[in-house]
Amino acid sequence: MASGWTVQTRSWFAVGLLLGEIGGGSTAADTTFTRDIQPLLARRCYSCHGPDTHEAGLRLDQANSATAELPSGMRAITPGEAAASEVVARITSTDPDLRMPPEGKPLTADEIDSLTAWITAGAEWSAHWAFRPLARPAVPPAAEGTSPIDAFIESHLIAQGLPLPRAADKATLLRRVTYGLTGLPPSEPEMRDFLGDDSPDAWERVVDRLLASPHYGEHQARHWLDLVRFAETNSFERDGVKPHAWRYRDYVIRSLNDDKAYDRFVIEQLAGDELPDPSADALIATGFYRLGLWDDEPADKLQARFDTLDDIVSTTGQTFLGLTINCARCHDHKIDPLTQRDYYGMLAFFQNVTPMGDRQMNPAFIERVIPAGNGTVTDAEHAVQDLARRRAEAEANLAAIHKRLAEHGQQALDDLTRKDLAAWENALRDLDAERASLPLALVVSEFGPDAPETFVLPRGNPRAEPRPELRVEPGFPEVLAPPAPAITPTPNGRSTGRRMALARWIASAENPLTARVMANRVWQWLFGRGLVRSTSNFGLMGDPPTHPELLDWLATELVANGWRLKALHKTILLSRAYQAASTAHPEALARDPLNDAFWRFDQRRLSAEELRDSIHVASGRFNPRMFGPGVYPTLPEEVLATQSVPGAGWGNSPPEEQARRSIYVHVKRTLPVPILADYDVADPDAACPVRFVTTQPTQALGMMNGDFLHAQAREFAARVRREAGGTNADQTAAMVRRAVEIALVRPASDAEVNRGVALIDTLETVDGVDPSRALELYCLMVLNLNEFVYLD
Amino acid sequence: MSDDHTPHGRGFCGRTRREFFWEAGASFAGLALAGLLDQGFFARQTRAATGVPFVNPLAAKPPMITPRAKSVIFLFMYGGPSQVDTFDYKPTLYGLDGKTVPVKTKGRGGERNEGRVVGPKWKFQQYGDCGKWVSDLFPNVARHVDKIAFLHSMTADSPIHGSAMLQMNSGKIQSGAPCLGSWVNYGLGSVNENLPGFLVMLDRTGGPISGAKNWSSGYMPATYQGTVLKSKGPPILDLAPPEDMPLDAQRAMLDALREANEAHLLSRGDNTELAARIASYELAWKMQEHAPEAVDLAQETAETKRLYGLDNPRTAHFGRQCLLARRLVERGVRFIQVYSGGAHNDDNWDAHGDLVKNHEFHAGNTDQPVAALLEDLERTGLLDETLVIWGGEFGRQPTAEYAEGTGRDHNSYGFTMWAAGGGIKGGVSVGETDELGSAAISPGPGHGNGDKPGFHVKSLHATVLHCLGLDPNRLSYFFGGLDQKLVGVEHVEPIHEILA
Repeated sequence: MASGWTVQTRSWFAVGLLLGEIGGGSTAADTTFTRDIQPLLARRCYSCHGPDTHEAGLRLDQANSATAELPSGMRAITPGEAAASEVVARITSTDPDLRMPPEGKPLTADEIDSLTAWITAGAEWSAHWAFRPLARPAVPPAAEGTSPIDAFIESHLIAQGLPLPRAADKATLLRRVTYGLTGLPPSEPEMRDFLGDDSPDAWERVVDRLLASPHYGEHQARHWLDLVRFAETNSFERDGVKPHAWRYRDYVIRSLNDDKAYDRFVIEQLAGDELPDPSADALIATGFYRLGLWDDEPADKLQARFDTLDDIVSTTGQTFLGLTINCARCHDHKIDPLTQRDYYGMLAFFQNVTPMGDRQMNPAFIERVIPAGNGTVTDAEHAVQDLARRRAEAEANLAAIHKRLAEHGQQALDDLTRKDLAAWENALRDLDAERASLPLALVVSEFGPDAPETFVLPRGNPRAEPRPELRVEPGFPEVLAPPAPAITPTPNGRSTGRRMALARWIASAENPLTARVMANRVWQWLFGRGLVRSTSNFGLMGDPPTHPELLDWLATELVANGWRLKALHKTILLSRAYQAASTAHPEALARDPLNDAFWRFDQRRLSAEELRDSIHVASGRFNPRMFGPGVYPTLPEEVLATQSVPGAGWGNSPPEEQARRSIYVHVKRTLPVPILADYDVADPDAACPVRFVTTQPTQALGMMNGDFLHAQAREFAARVRREAGGTNADQTAAMVRRAVEIALVRPASDAEVNRGVALIDTLETVDGVDPSRALELYCLMVLNLNEFVYLD
Repeated sequence: MSDDHTPHGRGFCGRTRREFFWEAGASFAGLALAGLLDQGFFARQTRAATGVPFVNPLAAKPPMITPRAKSVIFLFMYGGPSQVDTFDYKPTLYGLDGKTVPVKTKGRGGERNEGRVVGPKWKFQQYGDCGKWVSDLFPNVARHVDKIAFLHSMTADSPIHGSAMLQMNSGKIQSGAPCLGSWVNYGLGSVNENLPGFLVMLDRTGGPISGAKNWSSGYMPATYQGTVLKSKGPPILDLAPPEDMPLDAQRAMLDALREANEAHLLSRGDNTELAARIASYELAWKMQEHAPEAVDLAQETAETKRLYGLDNPRTAHFGRQCLLARRLVERGVRFIQVYSGGAHNDDNWDAHGDLVKNHEFHAGNTDQPVAALLEDLERTGLLDETLVIWGGEFGRQPTAEYAEGTGRDHNSYGFTMWAAGGGIKGGVSVGETDELGSAAISPGPGHGNGDKPGFHVKSLHATVLHCLGLDPNRLSYFFGGLDQKLVGVEHVEPIHEILA
């Protein structure tokens, strides 16, 4: 690994030089600094000599201070003169009292070399790549018919002397793209059609078909839900249910299926309620604010309040901007040029947001009625007011009747009065039923048009004295050279308009981060890793982009196409890079083992949801029904027994409901579903930009012994038996063949049919398993295959 | 990473099952453990801990400093035992029984400035060479006070179960952070591939509130999360094949699976994940075979079983778990947590109502087993390398919660925990609460408590990591833009006063 990093550093140094000539936008020194030098300084030096701490009067994050004369009389860096640069002396010193950095391992020889070379070359600082304004880079010259994406990637490959990618075969491609866009395997007819279609636009038509599939939104939504820490309960002792959270999940699916412009998607989630006459979706989207942890019985209410705000600042910063602003909560960011004032300036946008409630969730804070169909929220609220008026009227009339009866006694209760009374009572009941059936959404709200003042809290202490010099206004991080927020309170007097100002800035084409971050996520979702691997950290501690110009090109493309994600998906999918084979090339593997350069397509394991859904598809039980309240898979008794009240907060959905897509499984924070947890589902307590891919024996135990797998294997076997056909003589072979076709969406080879038949035979004759059970165990084996669980 | 090892995925292709297993005995561990996380994972974690990627997250790793213990057994007294009725002897409190005194308290009932004293309900006696005062609730544990270091001025940030449980287990009052057992396994890896490195045993009444959050690996990979060890039936979820899959049939299926997976691997030999997944099935098979042995008490003598109280219905459950804990330590399991108390109300130590009834019950269920564990660890030579921790998420107030009765509300201002075994000095008591036993008064600031006195939970966590050979101020995991640590941002010292 250590050597892998070195290879990467060296080779990219070379590419940097080349790109300087081709791209024209950046210079060699520039690329060297942002790719090699700044990350090194950030990682090893900034915690003592960076934005927050300036030990010995030295800060290395700015050119003027790093090259200035220090109190000691020396200069840390003398541009062009490594020998006159104290930094070089200190990093190469063998005296442990002098050597820098004082903690951890010394810098490697390669790191020392590149730092020294950079100083010798003039020690040029440049702004961090992600904070610079977004500009469309020139596409490297390439052969005709080469897409811009391939021009960027292939020019790098050529420069590095790496082989150009080979094309993957069509079956691999269809499986890859169907999972990539919908999270499901291709059907057998889809596979047949594609393999049989030799027309030049066959691939493009597949891409278009999948982008139009309703399953596209379900799968893409899963990525998004990880980023917004989507869960349907609050955690802590009661782990109470967040009402209507599923509507937010459905909103995300619907928005992505409708190809809602990403800027609109951002605005709805951050400030949908502050739009003029918001749609139902715009209100539901603001459930974004309510998805995090909520302690209904905090030890310290004030602390809990700021923890909630921190969750919002943190999630907003990382998810929309790729900035870990959260690191500046207690002190200025150690590495990134983000100050505490930046943090509290961001927090101020949310300062007036209501909490979930005080001990109990408060419907007045978190619920709003939403219109059905295409109606507007105003219509819906008029309907509510109308209901309230009619209810008041009914109550008044009832009260009047009761008063009369009280005054005049029971003799006043004649037949007409009796009927009148009954009619009003019925009316009241109907009105209540009508009220109860109004659809509600989990929403954000504010305390009104005026926000409390916001102060920087030294060390993050919520009880710090609010001194005037610590007062901050809502503001965007200074390092991004932002405009002043344009804040207008909403005309309805409900809120400050602050969140809308934030949302509009984030969703603007001028924001240097938003489009880069989102374009990178789309790339990550398709390739398994972002051009920037740390997809929610575009700061100095994040990974630098492997292909900076390509990233900027994609980002400008996203904006130019009206922020349409499907268009960006399609552009990427039509590239040769996406259609590359995943097979290894020995030399490329040796030189670039992590495939930084995209000399092949990375194999990947199915995600937890993809795996569970694929098992349902194979068993034939898959239920494609979309939307609605969450479903509850049956959990083993011993899993429920881990709760303080076993079974509390968990339902038991009918089998056909349990076979719906995993995105519809109810997300209860304190009760993870084993097969999803085993396969690295996101922990919803914080935003999760990249899932782990672990391989552990507990996964194997669940996959070979667990109730779910055995139940599905039985269904799968029954389906195989139904569909296999064949005569008695070759019945077993036909069933094996059919099982492979169903699960792997390809024909079975004779060798694997023979192996399958042999297994079934062994199970029956040697192990004494009856024939139907033997087929089930064979089917169980198929669901466990690496080929079933991995994509090429 | 790919330079460091090459799992020979192709190597066992074509061999017989017998050959495979023969070799497995010698070299399986390397294959099984290497590459259990994919390369992409490593790439994404390039800033992990030391700035150098981890080669193998599950393999045993060298400690950072000289270790004093190899394993931890955390006896978690869920609900919060009362310190003044157990180990924190407050003689003047008896005389104040029923009197209203000024005392600042904070519990589930909110903050108060005075309260009616409930005098300690048990007598205290002195035990051991150190002359430690212990209440009559723990006559058996009392015999071991010379092995024990008492921490009398523990403090936590929350007097509410949910957040306090999270803090005792993960250092944070919010969920989402990895638990102590996760940190230990992250830092040291596991030496027994047949058993998970972080095991949790629950009370027979159920889990603690927040369930799985109490053994979650939070933002770390699931590799480090706790696994619940069941007290009945197969010890781990899905460990045993269903009845209609006999072992031989399962083995035949696994052989066919391996054969097919090896064929699939032929053209993908560079993908270590695929090889690791093949290995994971063999590892699971071995777990299936060996893990039940770890919990099979038939191998224990009748004397040992009696020692732990397995012959007494009151102590049998917790006794069995303590005995299991010893067996797991013997087998190299890194971190074992045993819950006394589960579910809600008086099913755990949460004595809001009848203090005597509640504490007699829970102490009576656990005193003999805990003493047996200390004795058994000592006589088997394991105590020197096993750190035993006892305590709840907080303690209880010296005053009554209600106008009537003996119930005590929660107290995180000062409470008692104790430690014994590897790295711990026995027969010492450190830290003090005031004379009512209501709040920490010593030692002074500097123990994870900001400017306040007492030992914060963080300092206990620092002590555990330190004893295991991990530097609490350097063991970090990069997440959310920060090098996260179990003990938080500020430097926290282990409790040197109790270190041997």
